[in-house]
Amino acid sequence: MGLALAMMSLLSLSLGAFQIPLYNVLGILLDSIGLELTEFSQQQSNVLLHIRLPRILMAILVGGGLGITGAALQGLFRNPLVEPGLIGVSSGGALFAVIFIVFGSTLPFLSYFGGIGLPLFAFLGGLINTLLVYKMGSWAGKTDISLLILAGVALNALSGALIGLVIFYADDAALRNFTFWSLGDVGGANWSKVGVSFLLISGPVLLVMSQFKNLNALSIGENEAFHMGVDVQKVKYILLFSSALIVGTAVSFTGTIGFVGLIVPHLIRMMFGADHRLVLPGSFLFGATLLTFADLLGRTIVMPSEMPIGIITAIIGAPFFIWLIINVKKIRS
Amino acid sequence: MLQANDIHFCIRNMPIVDKANVSLAPGELTVILGPNGAGKSTLFKVLAGEIPCKYGKVDYNGSPINGFSAKNLALVRAVMPQHSSLSFPFKAMEVVELGLLSGGDSYRQDLLEEVMSETQTWHLKDQLYGNLSGGEKQRVQLARVLTQIWDKKPYPRYLLLDEPTSSMDIALQHHVLRIIHKIKKRNIGVLAILHDLNLAANYADKVILLKKGRILHQGPVKEVMCASNLEEVFEHPIQVFSGSEDSPMIIQSIPFIQNHLEIKLA
Repeated sequence: MGLALAMMSLLSLSLGAFQIPLYNVLGILLDSIGLELTEFSQQQSNVLLHIRLPRILMAILVGGGLGITGAALQGLFRNPLVEPGLIGVSSGGALFAVIFIVFGSTLPFLSYFGGIGLPLFAFLGGLINTLLVYKMGSWAGKTDISLLILAGVALNALSGALIGLVIFYADDAALRNFTFWSLGDVGGANWSKVGVSFLLISGPVLLVMSQFKNLNALSIGENEAFHMGVDVQKVKYILLFSSALIVGTAVSFTGTIGFVGLIVPHLIRMMFGADHRLVLPGSFLFGATLLTFADLLGRTIVMPSEMPIGIITAIIGAPFFIWLIINVKKIRS
Repeated sequence: MLQANDIHFCIRNMPIVDKANVSLAPGELTVILGPNGAGKSTLFKVLAGEIPCKYGKVDYNGSPINGFSAKNLALVRAVMPQHSSLSFPFKAMEVVELGLLSGGDSYRQDLLEEVMSETQTWHLKDQLYGNLSGGEKQRVQLARVLTQIWDKKPYPRYLLLDEPTSSMDIALQHHVLRIIHKIKKRNIGVLAILHDLNLAANYADKVILLKKGRILHQGPVKEVMCASNLEEVFEHPIQVFSGSEDSPMIIQSIPFIQNHLEIKLA
């Protein structure tokens, strides 16, 4: 899986509107750590190190983050249909990101945070929605999946409406900022954004991975997990908090990218079984690979223009979701 | 000792469990018997720590249950609920392995093989849990909770089982009760809810008869399981043939439609 990601990244570094042969890609990468092996042009080096590499690292962080968040939320809510977008984490993050983008210049206190303000604000929105959905979706200490999804639908609708309202009050400059953001892409990545994302995503990703045993226990049931010694409440809050931070950061830099969190854990379970020891890191690696691939497609199929990455994941993801619904029905009948 | 005093549990002012006192000594099998809706499972959940009890107290080895963290509680007691469903395709062996969680062991082939052979589930180890039959699932769950308390420990421990044999055939039911008989020798007290009066009569050390949330009778099998007590609790005519050294105790519920009964009624 790691190998697949490495190969996809190299391929993705090489291909694009400006082609860089694979051996030059390797040459430039090795050169930057002090090994001079092959000749390459300055232009190649600039495109690779300042445009393409941060973009691909962003795709890896966001894709991996969304993949592992999907796996964690599915495990926590004991349902394979849960996804960050579905239960309102993404839309909460988006709403707060939009508020930050539109009012960021008029509300001076928002600018104190600098580059980290937007992702932190989006995290806050994601967290609020996650906690609300969780509270609405659980009853007498148990999570009811239909309530949970209905709560997600309601909060998605509300967040969407509020986003509309915020845009209604936005001035021209803010509106342009918003439009750029909402095109939702890893294309705008630069090293400082990658740095902030790495800072905010890697911690919670590791935290989620450390919970693999508890997630396995939760698969039998919340009570059973408690009987086996799991502090269920604590695990829930760790996972909800981490998920909101990962998704909030991802949304704030790349807009809402759907379906990665849904498809990825499923395919990993089909390949490696249900043990979260493998599902969690597998979902990270595969999510990263998938988003890198989607980004490569987005950059290359309509060259020299670019197709937003969210469209690509939705085109792959929505039919998969339909297939999943049909299959769930078959299993139940 | 697992000691519960004055357990009182209400739902909308209706008492589900009413002033119950229960004590379970290590090395002992106590069986809770009672009709549907008697409050057996509620009492069971209060003892397991699954639902907090507002009135009354539960002590494990002399310490109140509220003072235990989930992890420490898992070291002194294991619980098998009535039904467990899995949300993802785990293999039977992976389910049993979860029993190692509280002990902090990640993987112990020898222990898993021992427990799974004992519960006759070793041959199922690579099958998906969801594809197993009801009785097989119960055995896998039993293996999981046994794994949790399998290693010998210097302090007394407890095993709580809610209808562990409900989906099993006759041979397996007896097999499971033999396992329970063996495990209690490891300084473990076992509390089980059973529906089969004969299993209770012949394997239990003590019996608790519960009706409408109240414990009507409790004590050693020979004292408590007499026809009059059982008829009072189950509201059905029952005959008890008290066994001897070399013959089992037999408890027979009397069918409504039977020639001799109709003659008697006539």
